[in-house]
Amino acid sequence: MMISRRIWQKRPPTSSWIFLRPYTSQIAVPSPSPSLFPVQTPSLIGFLSSYAASSFRSVYKISSLEMPSMVSRCCYSNHALADLPASGIVDVPLAQTGEGIAECELLKWFVKEGDEIEEFQPLCAVQSDKATIEITSRYKGKVAQLLHAPGNIVKVGETLLKLVVGDSAVPTSSSDVLESVKPPGSENSPDSKLNKDTVGGVLATPAVRNLAKLYGINLNDVDGTGKDRRVLKEDVLKYAVQKGAADGPSAASVSADCREQLLGEEETYPQTFAEVKWYPDDKTVPLRGFQRTMVKTMSMAAKIPHFHYVEEINCDALVKLKASFQNNNSDPNIKHTFLPSLIKSLSMAMSKYPFMNSCFNEESLEVILKGSHNIGIAMATQHGLAVPNIKNVQSLSILEITKELSRLQQLAKDNELNPADNSGGTITLSNIGAIGGKFGAPLLNLPEVAIIAMGRIEKVPRLSDDGNVYPSSIMTVNIGADHRVLDGATVAKFCNEWKQLIENPELLLLQMR
Amino acid sequence: MMIQQQGKKVGLPLMNLVRLNRTPILKQLHLEEKLLRKSSTNWCIINDGTDTPAIVMGISGKPSELLEIGSVLRDQVPVIKRFTGGGTVVVDKGTVFVTLICNKDDVPGVQPYPRSIMSWSGLLYNQVFKGIADFQLRENDYVFGNRKFGGNAQSITKNRWIHHTSFLWDYAEGNMAFLKQPARAPEYRMERGHTEFICRMNEYLPRTDFIEKTTEAVETYFSVKNVNLEATEEPCGAEFVPSTRLLSKQELEEALGPQPEIIGVSV
Repeated sequence: MMISRRIWQKRPPTSSWIFLRPYTSQIAVPSPSPSLFPVQTPSLIGFLSSYAASSFRSVYKISSLEMPSMVSRCCYSNHALADLPASGIVDVPLAQTGEGIAECELLKWFVKEGDEIEEFQPLCAVQSDKATIEITSRYKGKVAQLLHAPGNIVKVGETLLKLVVGDSAVPTSSSDVLESVKPPGSENSPDSKLNKDTVGGVLATPAVRNLAKLYGINLNDVDGTGKDRRVLKEDVLKYAVQKGAADGPSAASVSADCREQLLGEEETYPQTFAEVKWYPDDKTVPLRGFQRTMVKTMSMAAKIPHFHYVEEINCDALVKLKASFQNNNSDPNIKHTFLPSLIKSLSMAMSKYPFMNSCFNEESLEVILKGSHNIGIAMATQHGLAVPNIKNVQSLSILEITKELSRLQQLAKDNELNPADNSGGTITLSNIGAIGGKFGAPLLNLPEVAIIAMGRIEKVPRLSDDGNVYPSSIMTVNIGADHRVLDGATVAKFCNEWKQLIENPELLLLQMR
Repeated sequence: MMIQQQGKKVGLPLMNLVRLNRTPILKQLHLEEKLLRKSSTNWCIINDGTDTPAIVMGISGKPSELLEIGSVLRDQVPVIKRFTGGGTVVVDKGTVFVTLICNKDDVPGVQPYPRSIMSWSGLLYNQVFKGIADFQLRENDYVFGNRKFGGNAQSITKNRWIHHTSFLWDYAEGNMAFLKQPARAPEYRMERGHTEFICRMNEYLPRTDFIEKTTEAVETYFSVKNVNLEATEEPCGAEFVPSTRLLSKQELEEALGPQPEIIGVSV
């Protein structure tokens, strides 16, 4: 329902009986003029109208097509003016916008705090299911406070904003209003206390309110020094200091002597200030899924004697190869990257050095040379580090590797990798260079015996034989190896083989079947 | 503010009817938004199909939740965010669009809130499909039986409202693959996939019949005057900036989110 027509009121629905008689002539059709609504009912009726009609419909099994004239006659009230609270500050709630709608999204504000507004002026736009709805003001007045930001979900009945209505804009002449923003130091009489509890008319921004809440301060107790007695951040902080030093809980009872005592004593003042200083809370994050697994695997890996072998690889040819793949690519589903070529050449090199593709049995002191090249690719996902592997790379073409990589990437992103994807790997590639860094010192992915961390391909200057400087695309790799199985010489020779295939990809053709 | 005009039929408010054919949906939505906000006349717009397939989301639709973005990007399908609420549709030449823009006071008995408007429009379309199919307004959708063939949305302003509908005269199965199963769905959907949930109007009546019958149904509530597109320029005058917009490729890529960094060598 349009908010302009209603203020949420907790009143008994005196006229709800109307809705049990759907075709009575006692329900008048609203006239074209927006100000004439003949139903003399309290404002709650707007909600009950649609709700009651819905209940009625379900009880009497009338289809929605037969009901609309009934529904449409469920009316609004224009009695909001009569319900104006004495203080002049009106809580404007989100009224019912349709059957069964419990909440709306606030899309945008058309006004800001402090704006003067006219009756029927649009205040904001909200969205409920199918409709965007402009909410207009029932009153002329001034926007005191906006309680929600665009994007917020607002429940029906929740206050959207506060309006200062008519001439009663926190007037200093009104005794009722004064008592609601009574400054500290005034008498803590029963009447004023009652007013504080019942009238919440303190002007303050949401940030200041949050600050007061953090300190456990009632804003009504704070003397506002801003415009229209608005409570500012400094007012809250000052009050907090005063409250922290006083023996009594109420700032209103802080005497001048106490204040002097507080300010005069150097030792206590900083301490008091420290007491109200805000420290961020610790946050406990239980490890689940990939992160939990990583704790276990890395703890075990750390026990293995690693050594690391570092080498630079010239990727000029690889860059040309990738460009050629891309330029001749007719399938929009495929995106060519460097990685599939690196993976295939790795597999070719492992064929010559099978110990790199093995696992170690500690108990039997046996090395199992794996027949399949199941090359694991480390992937950093929002769920943690995942290492799915591409099975049988030795039998796959670069194109097939590209497609499989893409498939695993998507599954990893959606956290839908299955156990088969994650298990059975025989060696791991970690291309940490995509994120950053020259190279890393990777830990083994047990029970594998080798892992390769690749840094970023960078264009760096190189010297030719004749002393000229030329640019070259260089990638640094660091091979981590299980020194119980592999020695430096084996890893170095393997790396040389791999490097040669990357720098001279035409050599791959020699071994192609 | 409100002008009550004398039409051909005494007592009925005037409504301008604009017939379009294969007008791009973005252009149509810009026109609708302009007429809603800037005009004081009642309008009915019927666009018989749009030129190329497009995806149209509601005002607060989130691509990551509603679309298979990878497929959308791959096929370069335009994604539009419209100014009304509601769900997501894939529209193409097989979609018939019917839009009603009304002054609230010109539709007696209809209150400017969603349920009331849809109840009224449900009556209107009931006239169109009477005797042809088991038509009803079910929850918020237009259905034959339990299959949806038309989705609608509204925007309600101070004195006016718009109710626009996209009718699935025909659709390409493949286009439905761009849409994810929505998190919020009507109860009667019962978790059916797109192809099990929707149906084609062309199985029930000829296209021209639908448009003619819709025009006749509108004429029972308004005095309808056929106007051309130029007439939509007249009432509005000053330059209007619509909120309906085409999402950029960058926005969609950002919504797709980061691909797992295969820790990929920077490519």
